[in-house]
Amino acid sequence: MADEGLLEYLHFELVNYCVNDKKENETNQTQSSKISTLEYIGFSTGYRLIERLTREMPRFKDELDTVKFICTDFWSSVFKKQVDNLRTNHQGIYVLQDNTFRFLKQISNSSQYLDIAPAHVVFTCGLIRGTLANLGINAIVTAEIVSMPSCKFHIQVKH
Amino acid sequence: MTIYNLYIFDRHGTMLYYAEWNRVKQSGITRDEESKLMYGSLYSIKSFVSKISPLDTREGFLYYKTDKYALHYFETASGLKFVINTDCSSTGVKDLLQQLYAKVFVEYTVKNPIWTPGTPINSALFKSKLDEFIKQSPIYGLKNV
Repeated sequence: MADEGLLEYLHFELVNYCVNDKKENETNQTQSSKISTLEYIGFSTGYRLIERLTREMPRFKDELDTVKFICTDFWSSVFKKQVDNLRTNHQGIYVLQDNTFRFLKQISNSSQYLDIAPAHVVFTCGLIRGTLANLGINAIVTAEIVSMPSCKFHIQVKH
Repeated sequence: MTIYNLYIFDRHGTMLYYAEWNRVKQSGITRDEESKLMYGSLYSIKSFVSKISPLDTREGFLYYKTDKYALHYFETASGLKFVINTDCSSTGVKDLLQQLYAKVFVEYTVKNPIWTPGTPINSALFKSKLDEFIKQSPIYGLKNV
């Protein structure tokens, strides 16, 4: 098993590279397009990862079941813990809450550094979106950080 | 057994962090001058110790003791230097420094994406975890009257 720290180091180098890198011959890349690059990387990763994780599993009964799977098995394999709280309105909106989000744990546990925190959850938003996409659910995933290290992911399923 | 203060230096001599808990007397020079003095002296002591040693040294300089305090020194393979001043009856300080490096420094500074190596540490999380770690260690607890 690979060391747990590896994913954290790789992730923050990825964020630094995508968001903070100032290249000499930089095109007019705005902040939002850099973020979407990072989100797209997460999307591709999630898309492929879920293929491998659900190799031997039967199809999911319904959408709620799929989201529950993400909260338990998927979250455990990537973040070594399960999602702490899942809420839904049964009409396509789901909120996943993680109280000690792995990538934010080492940054702060108060509101220091709150302004750069969004860059560190974008990859995970893409990851969730890619995962759902390969399971047949088209959705928009956004994140909300009120106080580190807890963080909420909002999934809006498109029907 | 008490802990008075702590300095963390990197390989190039930059002071990354300083914290004090019970320091009663100040040194009379600015923090910056004091850190340069500390680093320079440690460098000289280390080199003196290894030159004068009659045997092959493995670790080299570990600590020095005066009648009122002891200064303990721990250096990592990456050149990070942890210096801590405790009172004379403290034991197991080397282990404390080692744990501090592994459990607090690596976890909350090295793994913090905001921190660039070579710059001073500003993270409030690191400060609070360090405080917690020092205060719950047995060396900090009992005052030597």
